Amino acid sequence: MIAVATKTSAERTSTEMRAPEGAAQAVSRTTRDRLRLAGPSVVLVALVLLVALAEPNFLSMNALAVVSAQAVPILLLGLGQMFVILTGGIDLSVAALASLATVILATVIGSLGPLAVVVTLVALTLIGALTGLLIVVGQVPSFVVSLGALGFWGAVALVASGSTTIYISEGYDAIFWLSSWTVLGLPMAVWAGVAAVAAVFCAMRFSPRGNVFHLVGLGEKAAMMSGVRTRIVRIGAFALSGFFAGAAGIVLSAQQQSAAPQLADSLLLPAIAAVLVGGCAITGGIGGAWRVLVGALVVTVLRVGGSVAGIDPSFQQIVYGAVVIVAVAVTLDRSRLSIIK
Amino acid sequence: MTSLLELRNVTKKFGPNTVLDDVSLSIAPNEVVGLIGENGAGKSTLLKILAGVHRQDGGRMVLGGREVSFGSPADAADHGIGVVHQEQSLLPNLTVGQNLILGHEGDTARAGFLRRRKIRARAQEMLSVVESTVDPGALTETLGFAQRQMVEVARAVGGRQVEHPPLLILDEPTSVLEPEDVEVLHRRVTALKERGSVIFVSHRLDEVLRFSDRVYVLRDGKVVGERIASAATESELYQLMIGKGAAEEIYSSERKQAVPRTGTPTLSVRNLTCGGKAKDVSLDVHAGEIVSVVGVVDSGREEVARAVFGAVPVDSGTVEIDGQRSAPGSPADAVRSGVAYVPAERRVEGMIAGATVAQNIATVHPVKAGGGRISSGARVEETARGWIEKLGIRPADPDADIARLSGGNQQKAVVAKWILGDGLKVLVLDHPTRGLDIGAKEDLYAVFRDLSDRGVAILVLADTLDEAIGLGHRVIVMRDGEITGAFDSPPGNPPSKLQLLEKMM
Repeated sequence: MIAVATKTSAERTSTEMRAPEGAAQAVSRTTRDRLRLAGPSVVLVALVLLVALAEPNFLSMNALAVVSAQAVPILLLGLGQMFVILTGGIDLSVAALASLATVILATVIGSLGPLAVVVTLVALTLIGALTGLLIVVGQVPSFVVSLGALGFWGAVALVASGSTTIYISEGYDAIFWLSSWTVLGLPMAVWAGVAAVAAVFCAMRFSPRGNVFHLVGLGEKAAMMSGVRTRIVRIGAFALSGFFAGAAGIVLSAQQQSAAPQLADSLLLPAIAAVLVGGCAITGGIGGAWRVLVGALVVTVLRVGGSVAGIDPSFQQIVYGAVVIVAVAVTLDRSRLSIIK
Repeated sequence: MTSLLELRNVTKKFGPNTVLDDVSLSIAPNEVVGLIGENGAGKSTLLKILAGVHRQDGGRMVLGGREVSFGSPADAADHGIGVVHQEQSLLPNLTVGQNLILGHEGDTARAGFLRRRKIRARAQEMLSVVESTVDPGALTETLGFAQRQMVEVARAVGGRQVEHPPLLILDEPTSVLEPEDVEVLHRRVTALKERGSVIFVSHRLDEVLRFSDRVYVLRDGKVVGERIASAATESELYQLMIGKGAAEEIYSSERKQAVPRTGTPTLSVRNLTCGGKAKDVSLDVHAGEIVSVVGVVDSGREEVARAVFGAVPVDSGTVEIDGQRSAPGSPADAVRSGVAYVPAERRVEGMIAGATVAQNIATVHPVKAGGGRISSGARVEETARGWIEKLGIRPADPDADIARLSGGNQQKAVVAKWILGDGLKVLVLDHPTRGLDIGAKEDLYAVFRDLSDRGVAILVLADTLDEAIGLGHRVIVMRDGEITGAFDSPPGNPPSKLQLLEKMM
């Protein structure tokens, strides 16, 4: 405590630190942050142990390969969703876009082969960017525009596929390695997912502008007034969301050797759950690739483990719903909200 | 004379920190008492105890002859203590009348329904106490800042009927008011003395002296002085507040160097019309020159400043940086041409709350701050640490959430993010010291002088006329969107405030 009259400006300003709020809450805040950070991993370990107790075979290499393969589409959708959620928005169209991606892929893979993968990714990125453009230019909430996009692109997928499942035979060589080749017992798709997580992490960590999504989510106006092109950032978030939806669709097609207009639709809730359960804040600004990875694993273990442990599949949606609400309740930083909408 | 309010040996601790240490003070009926102190001196904690937000750890509080202790803000309000906070707390989507009765509807609500005419009458009555001419039926969001403030005063004064006179607490009421509104507030506060007592908290010592009968000075949680306002001077109060001799003045105007106004100006604005307010404005700022712009609300000076930074579209006219035509379509363009802007709305536009000090400092020039194309968190922290030291930012922790810092320290971090780049040519300061304590102000003025020595052209929308005159090499006056006067302000021969006011009104 500084009781003596101070002399230099630096010393004098140090007395400002004695502002009550700063001192009293600084400690509790970091502890809480650490809990928030470690919480999802703890939950993941606990869940795995619980399921393993009910069914010891769950820890076998075979079972792990199945779980991790199941996690990849959720992980990829979650990674894309993460960019949007970081900027403070939400993309409800990701799962519908992934379904559309399987249809696009199946339509062109016969004639284009491996190039079909590139075409699908580019198309989905553009579709995502279009959603973002509508949001930014029209100043319409992302919830509304992406809800519209969900309906629109879902219908496009239905029309394009003739409302049926398309079996991929010609050209399957271009993607079948994703699900069939294994390294260290895990399919290539899993390694691709891990690579995606690492790439996103590195880009955010080591690129000078890597934290723009966070900055926009925490304070869009201040970011804009610091020279950040916030509109481009928000459009970019949706473009990335589209890109990863495309990647998820490709992995699904590889795993099922088919495409269907509603193949990925049921993954919307799990994907959003993965982002939130991993510890990204729904209000934006807080989150990262590793958190999404942990969240995707938690969600998948819930899904797979539930069946392994003999829980009725009908109950799974109940579990998801509860998990999402609890995750948001825990990660929500209420000090940043003026109104709980 | 019995006091209306008396605090005896009030103490408050937060963890290991003693924030209020044995504070005793009294407020007589029909008295205006000024309360001053630097950020962190304990002012806001004291106010929060009076307002029922915090409860004291030790000591007694006697109000109207009875010992009280408040459990909640509503409790304090029931005891006749009304607070007008710095941040306004009216609901913009309600009418003035609805806002006034909110929370204490009384007989204006019957059987769960509001009675419109009754509300109107009650609101009218409350407004007439402060002689406000605002229509009780008007939507609050359509009111100007000063009018809304008066509605808050009316609510704070007329909310409850208690047996003793009401006590009104005004927390920094003048910090965002324009001079003519301060005048109005002064008349109202003087009139309110007839009815009750007022605690007036402000950073502006001249206003504290003008508004108050008596002034208490807080430093490090203790009352270090009590002065009769009519017999006290600003420098005396300043000395008490910071515990050292006051500088002659805080603008370091002795460091003002003569700037040769030849050659190409660094910033040249020609016939600028923008934002629906500024009309045909032309001004030059040369390298190393500080130009202040003064004017009342709607004078258009904000629009000019924001247009230079690309935050307001230019309708016609040109902005040139170093002779190069600059047409900033967005702040991002302006940043690239070497323009920096410290906004008046620090919390919303200046800093990114929730991000750390280091992240905030790195927002504008992330490549420079992060040490190259491949950024490292350690380098960003190191850069931030350098600026924290240079500008005396406290706490000296690059990892601290900027929202946790005091206003002065936040503003230093905001300034740091602009000046760490090499290409800074023009610095636009929009009320850079609004709401800051005097120590932080002095530090920032010194930083601006350093930048001016470095050859940066500075355009400042000053908070007060004193600041404009003290800081600027030149002072430009705007009225109704046009420039009405320009004065040189050399050290030793500055223009008088009256000269400026004549051109402003």
